Amino acid sequence: MENAIQPLIQVQSVVKQYTRDTQVLTVLDGLSLSIDAGDFVALMGPSGSGKTTLLNLIAGIDRPTSGRVLVGPDEVSAMSEGALAKWRSRNIGFIFQLYNLVPVLTAYENVELPLLLTNLSKAARRKQVELALSVVNLTDRTDHYPRQLSGGQEQRVAIARAIATDPKLLVADEPTGDLDARSGEEILILLERLNDEFKKTILIVTHDPKAAACAHRLVHLDKGVLKEDVRGAGKTVGIAAAATVSAGK
Amino acid sequence: MRFLPLVLKNVFRKKTRSILTIGSILLPLFVICIMGTLLATLDSDPSGGKGMFRLTVRHSISITNWLPEAYLPKLRQMPGVKEVTIMNWFGGKYVDSSAKNFFARFAIDPESFLRVFDEATVVEGSAADWMGDRSGLLVGKVLMTKYGWRLGQQITLMGDIYPGNYTFTIRAVFKGADESGVYFDRRVHEEALPRVKGYVGMYWIKTDSVAAVERLPKQIDAMFENSPFPTKTETEKEFQNSWVSMLGNVKLLITSIATIIVLVILLIAANTMAMSARERVTEIAVLRTLGFGKPTILGLVLGESVLLSLFGGLLGLGLFVLSFPGFRAWMLNSPMGAFATGMRIFPGILALGFFITVLVGLLSGLVPAIRSAGRSIPDGLRQVG
Repeated sequence: MENAIQPLIQVQSVVKQYTRDTQVLTVLDGLSLSIDAGDFVALMGPSGSGKTTLLNLIAGIDRPTSGRVLVGPDEVSAMSEGALAKWRSRNIGFIFQLYNLVPVLTAYENVELPLLLTNLSKAARRKQVELALSVVNLTDRTDHYPRQLSGGQEQRVAIARAIATDPKLLVADEPTGDLDARSGEEILILLERLNDEFKKTILIVTHDPKAAACAHRLVHLDKGVLKEDVRGAGKTVGIAAAATVSAGK
Repeated sequence: MRFLPLVLKNVFRKKTRSILTIGSILLPLFVICIMGTLLATLDSDPSGGKGMFRLTVRHSISITNWLPEAYLPKLRQMPGVKEVTIMNWFGGKYVDSSAKNFFARFAIDPESFLRVFDEATVVEGSAADWMGDRSGLLVGKVLMTKYGWRLGQQITLMGDIYPGNYTFTIRAVFKGADESGVYFDRRVHEEALPRVKGYVGMYWIKTDSVAAVERLPKQIDAMFENSPFPTKTETEKEFQNSWVSMLGNVKLLITSIATIIVLVILLIAANTMAMSARERVTEIAVLRTLGFGKPTILGLVLGESVLLSLFGGLLGLGLFVLSFPGFRAWMLNSPMGAFATGMRIFPGILALGFFITVLVGLLSGLVPAIRSAGRSIPDGLRQVG
């Protein structure tokens, strides 16, 4: 009998509602989803479909109105604010569309930021930072400030920052959305490598069929419910992604 | 400590704004130190504690009314009195009547004067030379320095209240509580103007204990209550404060101005911190996604505002310390010289300046810090710019 792969992420009947003035807006409507450890999942769907909200809930930066979110053994949706902050620092790496590096810090210092929350010594932090920067092939840019880097380089620094603490889950919100085609491709190759070589579970929100084609699974959301869940590497997902995008248009 | 480089870099993120804010803290704090020093000087005891054993006796109506010299033996006989001396305000002018040439001129009894004002030390010439020469002049060190006088030099004081010119020879220079005046034998005055003989402007009493200081004013005033020359007896401190009060409620005025200055600094610093935090809503949200908890964010923003305030505050205190000798010299050479003799750098004022600096830092950063830490992460990430 084959060993079943344990799901890393379990989203169980999650409802997320926002109240704007007197109006209650349901963004996720009883969504359930399970993502295996080591998977590379693309979340797609039209604007307002709840992709980023789902990403935020899984990453522990937002809370569901009802339902449960579990990442590994931890019930993220039941944690206190303080516990969540600690949990995020150990378990989640964030990659943003606009990189969101701290402009007054060098590439090195940006990557070191999440490590400041650990008990690592300065020497140990240096080792981690250098390792992360070498993974993204930016060891020659350690003293550069974000304004001295290209968009692609900035995003690579952001990825180095995301992996500096060696988290099990990387979440990326439109990681190629602000990049030209070539830089976007480099970032996708890097994400694939992090998934293949470093066994990181990756969850990306994207509108880019190329980015989605890198994933092993495509989850299509619409109006807060799961519309489509396509498994299969490369081409299968790519075709589904392209179909999703054109349907969105 | 590991967050200090981050806080430091954030302080100087917008260099021009930070420098302007530091300047807006530096200069008011310098002014606060000056004002605080003036207040502390008014409250200080330049006699080094010896003034607390002294009492003044003057006419109950006004300091310009005379008391009879006949009170002298009566005062000397009172229990608790160690010594009594006489001081008459001469007034007059030196060179001209301008404010820059104003200083205290007193006709006194040399024999008892240095026993009552026993903190005064003769540093040039000698007390014996001064007492041995009826036209001798005892001059405060500050005044000697101001005019560049030398021992043996002749000084002419022109009378205004009392007519005539009086020429004195500098015989002794003293250092003590008030070094901005001149003192000469009252007999010179009496001989030139016999009508003042037998009258006294003010008695100064040296007591033997604090208990005597508390007891004697009532006893003295009661003794002369029904005479044609009723008295008002005060401690040295009360007497000094009565002079200060003639300028109006100076303390309240200075304290009010200083308080307004502190509030203005607070508003400027708070504005800077509010702008700084507002510009970094997304950045703070990103830090929180990385695992920076609310207390850490609170600490970072507060640390930034305190550090910014400290830069301004410490520079202000440094400027004050560096410029103090010049300021003191200027004050001593001004008509306020008598008040400025006890002026020094009071550690309490420096501590107050430091406290204000930290307080401004904490208060100005508090609201932006709470807002930054309290904002939801998704809201922060959605904010653009």
